[in-house]
Amino acid sequence: MSEQLLAYVEKTSPIHRADALSKLLWVVIVVVATFQFQTTLPRVVLFFVLLFTALVIARVPLGTLWRVSPLIFGVAFLLGAFHYVVTKGITPLYQFGSHVVYREPLEAGGAYFFRLAIMVLASFLLIWTTDTYQLMVGLAYLGLPYRYAFAIFMALRYIPLIQREVEAVRAAHAIRGKAAQSPLKHRFRLWQRYLFTVIVNGLRKAENTAVAIEARGFGAYPERTYWKEFRWTRSGFLIIVSFTVFCVALIVWERVYL
Amino acid sequence: MASSSSAPLVTFDQVTFYHFERTRPALSEISFALPRGSLTLLVGPSGCGKSTLCMLMTGIVPHLLGGVLKGRVLVDGKDVSQTSVKDLALSVGLLFQDPEWMFATLRVEDEIAFGPENLKLPKEEIYQRVEDALETVHLTPFRHQLVWALSGGQIQKLGFASVLAMQPPLMILDEPTANLDPATTHAVHELILHLRQQGKTIVLVSKDLDEFIADADNMIYLAEGKIIAQGEPRQVIRQSGLHMLQAGVWLPEPTEIGLCLQEKGRLPAETLPLTVAEAKEAFSRLSFVSPKSEMVQPKDFGEALIEAENLQYAYTPKIPALRGISFTIRRGEIVAIIGQNGAGKSTLAKLLVGLLKPTGGSLHLFGKDATRWKVAELANQIALVFQNPEHQFLCDTVFEELSYSLLAKGITDPAEIQVRVVETLRQLDLQDNAQTHPFALSEGAKRRLGVATMLVGGGTQALIVDEPTYGQDRRMTERLMKYIRQLRQEGITVIMITHDMRLVEAHIDRAIVMAEGRILYDGAPQTLFTLEEVIRQANLRPTALNRLLTELRRQGMIIPPNINTVAKFIEAVQ
Repeated sequence: MSEQLLAYVEKTSPIHRADALSKLLWVVIVVVATFQFQTTLPRVVLFFVLLFTALVIARVPLGTLWRVSPLIFGVAFLLGAFHYVVTKGITPLYQFGSHVVYREPLEAGGAYFFRLAIMVLASFLLIWTTDTYQLMVGLAYLGLPYRYAFAIFMALRYIPLIQREVEAVRAAHAIRGKAAQSPLKHRFRLWQRYLFTVIVNGLRKAENTAVAIEARGFGAYPERTYWKEFRWTRSGFLIIVSFTVFCVALIVWERVYL
Repeated sequence: MASSSSAPLVTFDQVTFYHFERTRPALSEISFALPRGSLTLLVGPSGCGKSTLCMLMTGIVPHLLGGVLKGRVLVDGKDVSQTSVKDLALSVGLLFQDPEWMFATLRVEDEIAFGPENLKLPKEEIYQRVEDALETVHLTPFRHQLVWALSGGQIQKLGFASVLAMQPPLMILDEPTANLDPATTHAVHELILHLRQQGKTIVLVSKDLDEFIADADNMIYLAEGKIIAQGEPRQVIRQSGLHMLQAGVWLPEPTEIGLCLQEKGRLPAETLPLTVAEAKEAFSRLSFVSPKSEMVQPKDFGEALIEAENLQYAYTPKIPALRGISFTIRRGEIVAIIGQNGAGKSTLAKLLVGLLKPTGGSLHLFGKDATRWKVAELANQIALVFQNPEHQFLCDTVFEELSYSLLAKGITDPAEIQVRVVETLRQLDLQDNAQTHPFALSEGAKRRLGVATMLVGGGTQALIVDEPTYGQDRRMTERLMKYIRQLRQEGITVIMITHDMRLVEAHIDRAIVMAEGRILYDGAPQTLFTLEEVIRQANLRPTALNRLLTELRRQGMIIPPNINTVAKFIEAVQ
């Protein structure tokens, strides 16, 4: 069986031990902070702190991070490149032949790249370290109607199953060979078909799941019992406090010294 | 309000059902009653309406998936057309073929608690129900495990436990053993009998009837949406056994033999064995000669196509899948790779088609080191048909799908493509579906198209088929096996990954048995079934035919050694 890249992995790290709501709040703090920074440097610092948290504190294997890096950096790179291209340059920094690199597009590209990379990494860290059932119980504890809490839970629950489906389709397509003349055309056709197969099978399975959970009484009453209670944890509190202090310090540092 | 205990738990009264926007009924004028505490087998060929009937009892149709219901369905005193699915959930539990998709949580115990939580039961009661269900299915040591860390058998048990915790009087089990190894299948069967003893009413859809047929109280035989026969299993098979065989229903091998011998006048009409034990008695006066048809004996196969020496593969250092295996596969062989779920079979298949590269040892494919093959180039030599053939379809029609494969092999002349595709469609009996979307084909046709997309255009030297009989009825399987035998005659090596011991016994030259990434046995299937230790370690179980032959030989009967199918058994009877 191949490794599940985007699924909860059971460990006993302080991050794993923290309650689900604190971790959700922690992701919100990180995301808000990235929007408060005005330059790239604090974002770079925050990104590496998150990376350190993932590797050292949460003990996420380097191999897992490596394998999901296209997801973390891929869209972020495209977003960064887009902003590099569309931002008007005023202050020249370097010149490569006829191409001049300006400070403004570089900063805009870097800002968007790190902003998205931070958000994706923080979300992945939440997925890797959180039993999503606890997250559902926590959201219900906050008063969110359980159908909505469950929708979030199911979306997270589905990620590894969809990952497995994508892997199976990709493997099956790889051995069909190439019929199109241009590699680009072939690649486009494959992507078109990946999406079709994954969506069709995903919808079919989602329908099966919806039917199956309804047949198990889901939605029978406006409220439901949770056999496990939600409890705030000390490690969750520490994570929130430490990251809040750290992010505020970064903002102050940026505003005062940069 | 629930009915009294003497009334039937389920009653179908003149039920006709049309699926959403269909004009042809999926079920026609169905009437039957199931007593409380009974075990009912629901049998019929693929597409006969079994699943629709199960969904009607749970209210999934017409309430969730639409459709038109005529007649009356009563479950536990509730009229299905007037009762919501949620309310019916108190009376009916449905275990799906692939329970993983019905799971809603991450942990074993949370999953079992999910249903009772929905019913707003007090926490103390939920705890008790979880404990009881875990104990019944023997999953207590795994209660804190994540669902995706479970084996195939454990997933099925968790499915049972999740349904059990709802404490429904009726349990519907739709092919609960379809993807399990034989020994796990046997364990699930025992669990079902245990539940029946506890007073549950059980409706079972399964092609593995060997274990139940003698214990079942009722059998309902459906074909084309109608009940052909119903009643006590022996009576149903007496009445419609030959019809069932012709329609493609899998029956236990002793029963198939009994029916065929009765037809030939070699067995009295009142004698119909359902089990190995009964067949041992019934056939004790038969005498045998060697069957004239082709003997399955070791053949001189061609040159080595695949050579593995101490082959290893690990997904990560902590997940070793193959732990140093060695074997050689030659041209023209039909080889089965068998073993329990997670034994390393699928990993081996991916290595053979180049989707994975060895992490240790050596693997030579068609005279070249596996690491030097590109996947696309290797695809011209060796093909893999996935368990779900939909994964490999790339086009919008069956015709285009086959054309794509020809183009990928460098055949670009439109006239030649037309001729080859038409010929292949004819061979596969798919000529009427040329313009059909591949996803819209029947399961059997999808499987045949999957094989054809990999072979059309020629040049392929070896074919790997993952679970060729999964979801196939007897007629579909026979068609596919006929096609595979044709391929072997053309010199193509066929490797099957399978749990189906009947398939192994009847169609395979050689079996490679795997367990925990190692090879336990490599040789003739007939010898394999005599090796008790290998059978135990690999979670296998000899077929009913094999067990019958062993019993008859133990009685001192002289039986030719080359009997490996029902047809050969019949042929050998003097």
